Amino acid sequence: MSAELTYFEDVAVGEELATPAITLTEAHVNLYRGLAGEPVEDPGAVPELLPLCLSTGLGWRVPRPPLAVTAFLSVEWDFLQPLRAGDTIYGASRAAMRRPLREGGIIIEDHEVVDQRGVVVQRGRFTFLVAKRPAADTPQKGAVSP
Amino acid sequence: MVSYAGMTAPGRYFEDIQLGEEYESPGRTVTETDIVLFAGLSGDYNVLHTDAEFMKQSIFGERIAHGLLGLAVQAGLFTRATQAYATLAFVGLRWKFKGPIKIGDTIRLRARVVAKKETTKPDRGLITLERKVLNQRGEVVQEGETDLMVERRVG
Repeated sequence: MSAELTYFEDVAVGEELATPAITLTEAHVNLYRGLAGEPVEDPGAVPELLPLCLSTGLGWRVPRPPLAVTAFLSVEWDFLQPLRAGDTIYGASRAAMRRPLREGGIIIEDHEVVDQRGVVVQRGRFTFLVAKRPAADTPQKGAVSP
Repeated sequence: MVSYAGMTAPGRYFEDIQLGEEYESPGRTVTETDIVLFAGLSGDYNVLHTDAEFMKQSIFGERIAHGLLGLAVQAGLFTRATQAYATLAFVGLRWKFKGPIKIGDTIRLRARVVAKKETTKPDRGLITLERKVLNQRGEVVQEGETDLMVERRVG
């Protein structure tokens, strides 16, 4: 893989990241409802799962290469406050735990979704399986330079 | 909390929902289009979901659906599995992604009411559902529990 990624070794417990913000719109609500296959009763009401879905993508827009996730293992999530189209949210995360495995390692991240008033509207925890830095990325004995 | 003024859905109240009730949804085939749309909506462009060539070399052999897409699809399938609840809010989720959902896989939801709890507010109660997302081979690809705040008949 050529693009730079954040590998298991690069993650330090306690590391905190904040994402840019995104304004939730009726377009987001309608796209999400259409994709999920849920009736749209009120296009202004943000489906609870939508901010959770957006928080993974927002996590890409931080001053760090994307995490080399090889599997998303689990999520625990609390939906604390309702959101409306027009609300603006951002994500804040903290690496809470890392455990090396033979192939890669487990990273647990604590996440918060915060609205424009600074209120934590959703909160939870992601568990990822993350790749170790591939051997090809480090100089190898006998490797031939291109 | 999330109820819309004037749109009180004729859903089933807390009292009507029995512990142990089970539901099974119709199937839904997850397509490449679903994955592309979800990547665009969420902004999650992980190679797992977007790079067919890279994924040929992976243990999956092809692109797989975002785990959260599976979660969203099962939420939609729930609305087709049973009569709507008089849901006020979706309050909690504990969820495991057990296996890949590949392009063309057909998933369905099996759900069961595993807990009913009264709350401090007399107009609502908490319903916990155990949910399993199964593929066309009957393999559980996702499973977990969801907590829904549901209106009581006597508010």
